[in-house]
Amino acid sequence: MKIEMFHLMPYRDLPADFAEKYHSVWVDIPSHLFDARKAHQYYNDTLDELEYAAAMGYDGVCVNEHHQNAYGFMPSPNLMAAALARRTSDVAIIVLGNSIALYNPPIRVAEEFAMLDCISGGRLVAGFPVGSSSDTNFGYGMNPATLRDRYYEAEDLIMQAWSNPDVFSFDGKYTQLRYVNIWPRPIQEPHPPIWIPGGGSIETWGWCVEKKYLYAYLSYAGFKRGKQVMDGFWNKAAELKAEPNPYHAGFLQLVAVADSESEVQDKFGPHGEYFYNKMLHVYPGFADAPGYRTLETVKAGLLGQTTAFGERPPALTFKDLREQGNIVAGTPKQVTEQLEQIIKDLRIGHLMILNQFGSIPHDLAMANIKKTATEVIPNLRHLWPEWEDHWWPQPLRNVQKPGPIYSQASAAL
Amino acid sequence: MEVTTRPVRGGMFNVEVLRGGSGSPVLFLHGAMGLNWDGFLDELATRHTVVAPFIPGYGGTSGDEHLLDFHDLITFFLDFLDAEGLRNLPIIGHSIGGMIAAELAAVQPDRFTKLVLIAPTGLWDPANPVLDFFVASPTDLAQALYFDQDSEPAKRAAYTPEDAEGRVAVALERVKSLRVAAKYLWPIPNRGLNKRIHRISAPTLIVWGADDLLNPPSYAQAFSAKIPGSRVELIPNAAHQVQEERPRAVAEAVLPFIA
Repeated sequence: MKIEMFHLMPYRDLPADFAEKYHSVWVDIPSHLFDARKAHQYYNDTLDELEYAAAMGYDGVCVNEHHQNAYGFMPSPNLMAAALARRTSDVAIIVLGNSIALYNPPIRVAEEFAMLDCISGGRLVAGFPVGSSSDTNFGYGMNPATLRDRYYEAEDLIMQAWSNPDVFSFDGKYTQLRYVNIWPRPIQEPHPPIWIPGGGSIETWGWCVEKKYLYAYLSYAGFKRGKQVMDGFWNKAAELKAEPNPYHAGFLQLVAVADSESEVQDKFGPHGEYFYNKMLHVYPGFADAPGYRTLETVKAGLLGQTTAFGERPPALTFKDLREQGNIVAGTPKQVTEQLEQIIKDLRIGHLMILNQFGSIPHDLAMANIKKTATEVIPNLRHLWPEWEDHWWPQPLRNVQKPGPIYSQASAAL
Repeated sequence: MEVTTRPVRGGMFNVEVLRGGSGSPVLFLHGAMGLNWDGFLDELATRHTVVAPFIPGYGGTSGDEHLLDFHDLITFFLDFLDAEGLRNLPIIGHSIGGMIAAELAAVQPDRFTKLVLIAPTGLWDPANPVLDFFVASPTDLAQALYFDQDSEPAKRAAYTPEDAEGRVAVALERVKSLRVAAKYLWPIPNRGLNKRIHRISAPTLIVWGADDLLNPPSYAQAFSAKIPGSRVELIPNAAHQVQEERPRAVAEAVLPFIA
């Protein structure tokens, strides 16, 4: 079993009346709510937390891409990954990922991921999300009617750029290149493992199975609704006669660990509510541009086969969130038991954990990482011993360590 | 009115066409919200043979997957006109259909005798942005489309079937249509008509609902300024679906103009 720490890096200081007073946390959130001095602190806290998780024994650290929002503002996760590559040495660097349809030409992603793979010594996991509608259609103005087609073309181009040893031309509908010949190329051959973060689009299941890409269901709807989606994936895998290797699938879960029930409630309660009631306060129109989801997925949503789209969740309490399974919180024993159940029920070999969510301050995030890493994760590692993880990076045997941090005095020597 | 099918480009597209009336032909291109045979088309049909195709992806017209962008759409319509044998006729377009009509009249100025643009999209003025109707709430959208929410057209548009199956069908049809509109109008309804509009030579009538909250009436002046000799007709007590709301008033302006 592999367990990774995922970080969204949210804006932690939105006003208390944000949901009542403002239209949306995404796309048109007013800039006067943003304080760059705070962002300085958040970015550095985030990197510290991920580096700490790596040191505490998490198998990987995950960063992802979003635009024009307070929910998670790493517009370029590759910058974060580059910093992490230098300050960690044995964890997987999981960029989950780059919204490949947004880049013109998409070989920009092939190049940057190759850079990260070279810098990190072959520790990169390359994530190719379509990207949320808010990010792609609204933040980046990408046409929803052609976004998916553009995405598939970009994936084809990037994979060719990584695997074709020759200079070649590419005559696509969206990208034309007379000479494709990227430098650098990734260390991992033929390419880093590919993870596909999904939001519940049903056609992504079959695509991941056929391409042998990992399917990672990233949702905050919790494991109860997550099971519907993962069942859809596994049913599709069975239909296409793929082996039911749990490592083929990943799931994201918010986790809070403390020594007692009351401590969990007191310390994490307000932050869980902040996450669900402020960070997910997205104007429904921005959640699903017409054409962003295929008619099949829209139909499945309307018929209740998968999670509902575009509806604002009602205000939730921490208690609701625990009961519904949105947040797994409790003592180490409670959390271990619940996570084991989720891992088995959803049949996932990769569990991505959000230890910092909503407004959780740095010190509490660090404590949560420590407790999860030392009192929960060791009791989950034994799961799925009979399966091999084909979706994990294959780094160099001897990864070069960064040089020392020079001071003026040491540099002079 | 009859519903017919016209194959285009060897059956790559099968175009559903609503036809009605008698007399010389007139082409009508529908708006972003779709095509219904409404009171305005009835009025037109009193003196003309109305030819009203569904844009690929709308109604029963197939072949949307072969169209990547607005340029492809215009080429498709030229093929459709050839397949129908239509030339030397007036062309009327509403909303996105007006944008297509203006483009066709710029590309083949000799083909059309008259041009009628009803609240067309296609120009962009950052000081008076077109409503982002793709994300507008149902209430805001209804007000942008209809001046009177109690009118028959407004009530028809707001109708939701009682049964779940019917509601799913209506919702899916809506997503399917808006997806097509988005293909040509996203993220801003400007595909460069501004660079080609000077080629329009047909006499042009511009019709606008005075209370259009989707495509503000200021655009009537913008279109008029770019099409020499064009005339603007503002229809009071009407919003974006002006010809649906005020069929008689619009017909009274249009019929003498295209006669």
